[in-house]
Amino acid sequence: MNTFGLVQIGLILLCTTTMSSLNCNHLPLQQRKAIENSLQLLDKMGKKFPHRCLREKMSFRFPEQVLKPKQKETVKMAIEEIFQHIFYIFSKNLTLAAWDGAALEQFQNGLYHQIEQLEACVTKKQTQYFWIKEINRLKLKKYFQKIDCFLKDKKHNLCSWEISRAEIRRCLQLIDKAVRKLYN
Amino acid sequence: MEAAGCRARALLLPLWCCLLAAAPRRCAGQTDLKSPQDIQVYVVNTNFTLRWNYTGNDTNVTFSAEYQWLDPKTSETEWKELPGCQNVTDTECDFSSAITEYNDEHLVRVRAERKEDKSPWSSVYEMIPFLIAQIGPPEIHLQSINGVIKIQVSPLESNQDRKMWNLSSFKYNLVIWENSSDAEVRSQNIFPVDTISGLAPETTYCLKVQAILYYQEGLFSPIHCVKTTRKVNYLFCPANLKVSALNMQFHLHWNNPYKQHVNYTVQYLLGFAKQLHDDHSGKWLSVPRCENVTNTKCNFTSIITIISAFYYLRVQAMSEYNKSCLSKEVKIDPLSTNEIGPPSIRVDISDVLLHVQISPPGGDENKVMRERYYLSYQIVYWKNSSDNEEEIKVKEIKQTIATISDLTPSTQYCVKVKAFSEAYNKSSPFSNEECIKTPGDKMLPLIILATFVTALISVLVVAVLIIFFLYQAYNKIKYVFFPSCTPPLNIEGFGGQLFGSPYLPTAEEPIESCYVIESIIEEVNQNDFKDYKHSKQSSRDSGNYSNDDDTSGSKGSEGMLEKEII
Repeated sequence: MNTFGLVQIGLILLCTTTMSSLNCNHLPLQQRKAIENSLQLLDKMGKKFPHRCLREKMSFRFPEQVLKPKQKETVKMAIEEIFQHIFYIFSKNLTLAAWDGAALEQFQNGLYHQIEQLEACVTKKQTQYFWIKEINRLKLKKYFQKIDCFLKDKKHNLCSWEISRAEIRRCLQLIDKAVRKLYN
Repeated sequence: MEAAGCRARALLLPLWCCLLAAAPRRCAGQTDLKSPQDIQVYVVNTNFTLRWNYTGNDTNVTFSAEYQWLDPKTSETEWKELPGCQNVTDTECDFSSAITEYNDEHLVRVRAERKEDKSPWSSVYEMIPFLIAQIGPPEIHLQSINGVIKIQVSPLESNQDRKMWNLSSFKYNLVIWENSSDAEVRSQNIFPVDTISGLAPETTYCLKVQAILYYQEGLFSPIHCVKTTRKVNYLFCPANLKVSALNMQFHLHWNNPYKQHVNYTVQYLLGFAKQLHDDHSGKWLSVPRCENVTNTKCNFTSIITIISAFYYLRVQAMSEYNKSCLSKEVKIDPLSTNEIGPPSIRVDISDVLLHVQISPPGGDENKVMRERYYLSYQIVYWKNSSDNEEEIKVKEIKQTIATISDLTPSTQYCVKVKAFSEAYNKSSPFSNEECIKTPGDKMLPLIILATFVTALISVLVVAVLIIFFLYQAYNKIKYVFFPSCTPPLNIEGFGGQLFGSPYLPTAEEPIESCYVIESIIEEVNQNDFKDYKHSKQSSRDSGNYSNDDDTSGSKGSEGMLEKEII
């Protein structure tokens, strides 16, 4: 019974691992397509930026040096971490934003898939090990913490969400540029 | 006393004095308080613990610590008292309340104190909390139901205002074993809300969970033990869920070994929901047109709205007694699950070029396959000849039109094409074979014709020349051996024989025809001269036909010839 259970679990695990069988050499092409999708969904989620929210606008200062390619693997890790931060932000209380729920869910779903693919394609465990201690990781954390605190301070109202959405949009565009440069 | 001593020494060694004045006051020669050593900071989530070693005499010794927060905005370098680490007797203390900025650099130092004595400060410990933090143990809730264990991992730092971690990054590792001796320990990845299956019923299992971030393993939760219940297996539960997908059309099949009247509803869940800590059991949605159906298949293409995403599917069966049963879940990654169908091809021939037009699998309108799989095509072609040695040639292209040029004329070639995706390591079956014959060589008949015509012409020319030369020869021969001229009248008696062969010497000359003319000349005067001339001429004309006076002679002969002929 025990061995049967093990075999079953093993098969399930095997199935889940073989599910994402993307050849990692083609990851950049796939990434660009996925980011394009994410940007479209981000736009589709809500309406145009409300003018009344302009006065509440804040400068978050994304640490662009994080995406400057020193090593490809480090930039891949940075992109994965950025996606995870974005995923985390959008899993919060969004009722006041009054956005299109279906578009939001699709956005989250696409983002999650990208995170899993990036994780599967990071070949060296060493990269992950060093990334844990990497200073750029701190910079990213500070940046996203600023957005998080901003949302909390404004009690997740509509304007704070719209400003955050615009900021995330800018983030994704920077990633798209970095991916293009990295693999050309 | 020390001061006096200091002043006394001041005259001799000023430097020493200053140092001693700055140093904690102690008597030279007395045992000083040693400073603490091996200072370390341990961080678990947002709990900060300072630890050190003290090797000196530790009776009545307390310790106090100081810290600095290197605020990137200001350049303060002030040492402040570390709350929670003042006058502690242990060699460790908790200073969690002091630290708020987990991403900034902090400095910590500690010293020993005994009444008024203070040891020197220990070496400074530099740290950035986020980079040295460990992941704390997760809190788990278990529920044993129907032979499986439902597990829910509470998010870390759920009740805290200040958090060290970003939740969505965590993956959870479960370690589980049977609560018996020599039990095998197995570990698996689980989602924050998950079900552990594959367990023996009515058995006690013990388990523990750790959170993992990239390569960093967190601390394990305390061990929980739970007993599994009896498994109630409804016979009508859908089993053997199989997904088949061709050209982005997705189908789910299952079977029900128990042929009872059962209604099925296929449900789906967006993949990302499992990563969240909320209970997603209420987030399953029904697949359109697969609700309350009685057949055991479902076309769920409509729910695949994003191709680069995960989906989970399960089947809920409802028996006529209102009992329901859920099947196992199936995870779908559309681009990986989907199979590529064969392309269709059309072949065209022009001269010795074979054109292959490929229609991508799924049709020309279906752009998804082309765009997402980055399809390439492999063209296989060979000579369809009677002998078995057909050399199969392969050509790989990325476009949908190909031209094959290295062909021999008047041969039948067969072509088949398959599509493949290097990105997803998938290839389609081959398309139908299309055979076409290359046209014969157009040049050959022309060459034959040209050769024939040339030969004909040359033969004609040669024939004409030959005829011409023959004619000339004939004329010459005729002229020499069979002349047509008659000798002149005064050379009569030559006979027809002479005309037949003018160049052949006659055996005899009919001398009797000759006259001796000299006798006539003696009798004649001037008139005789003419006669003499004439006679001379005629005497000279005796015998052979002479050519001295060609024109007159020939004319004359012609005239004679005519006469003779008449």
